Amino acid sequence: MTAAHDLSPSEETDALAAEYVLGVLALQDRLAAEARIKSDPSFAKMVSAWENHFEALNDDYEAIPAPNMMDQIESRIFGQQPAAKRSWWGFIAGASAAAALAVAVILALPPAGNVGPTLTASLAAETQELAFNATYTNGELTLARVSGTSAQPGSDYELWLIVGDAAPVSLGVIQDATTTRPLAELAPGSVLAISLENTGGSTTGAPAEVLLVGEVSQT
Amino acid sequence: MSDDPVAQMLAKVAAQDRSAFRDLYSNTSSKLFGVLLRILNNRAEAEDALQEVYTRVWLRAGRFDPEKGRAMTWLISVTRNHAIDRLRTKVEATTATEDESDALIDTKPSAEASLIAQGQARRIVDCMSALEPDRARAVQGAYLGGLSYTDLSARFNVPLNTMRTWLRRSLLQLKECMEK
Repeated sequence: MTAAHDLSPSEETDALAAEYVLGVLALQDRLAAEARIKSDPSFAKMVSAWENHFEALNDDYEAIPAPNMMDQIESRIFGQQPAAKRSWWGFIAGASAAAALAVAVILALPPAGNVGPTLTASLAAETQELAFNATYTNGELTLARVSGTSAQPGSDYELWLIVGDAAPVSLGVIQDATTTRPLAELAPGSVLAISLENTGGSTTGAPAEVLLVGEVSQT
Repeated sequence: MSDDPVAQMLAKVAAQDRSAFRDLYSNTSSKLFGVLLRILNNRAEAEDALQEVYTRVWLRAGRFDPEKGRAMTWLISVTRNHAIDRLRTKVEATTATEDESDALIDTKPSAEASLIAQGQARRIVDCMSALEPDRARAVQGAYLGGLSYTDLSARFNVPLNTMRTWLRRSLLQLKECMEK
């Protein structure tokens, strides 16, 4: 068939879809492929064709009884508790003085076909390596840790949403490198923040130590 | 696809049926947990990841299309994708990324994709055996164990670009075989 280094453009694209499904790509290329799945239906079709091609290999995954985690899962999905009343902007002012926060470098992702607009925010601070990118589309907020490590043992990161002058609302503890949460609405201009908490998250309903802040914007 | 009980559960989950969601968990969590343990190789991480996977399943159940494949295959894709994202994010904290520019190559809509018929998945076993043994092992190791190009090039002791070139060729060869 084709010479080793010269794939036709359509073979290149198909090979990329296969590489994505196989899982061999580095993070940056994976994220690009994921964005493309959302914006390019023909690419999405190739990805799903490859998923079906490899289907029979799934038999090699052994079923291993999982602990019952339905309570934790349901609390992720359904259990959002409003934060206690306390001035959020006080936190930001305090955190800024201490940590020189860099707010909101916005990434532009093309909006997907027939879903609502995509909103994004970049949560970062000059003084730390830790950073997250947030993407919101179709009722779903996805947070990806793009640098830094997970929280130290004994602590957890927690995600907060601040709308206007209202008190921050917890969107839950963030343990995974990528996390998805349901969110009925999100408006440009809102603020997302990550705080450092004791394991299990804030017990006061307000964030303890704010690490990262990012403003939500529409692409 | 009425003979796919998992698809029926997923359809109810898409309609926000919480008791169907619990049934789905009882019926599918062992398999998905097995996938996560194999790729992440760490029980605590696999348990965290399992929570995230079912959160996504709840949110995205409506996107499953029984015309495009089996429900279990879809669930395993959601699971593998999350597990591999976790692995890559962790590794990138210490390793530089190799930036491949072809991720953004423009493409014409492919007629080939639509030609890929359903029900050919079993063929992969035959088609894999037509590959050179090393290459078949690389494909399988990547799919089942979540190995990256970096991992593969270390394991097979070839430069990363060489690994990529021959893996891509193997993938296209596989596809050609499966579509015969």
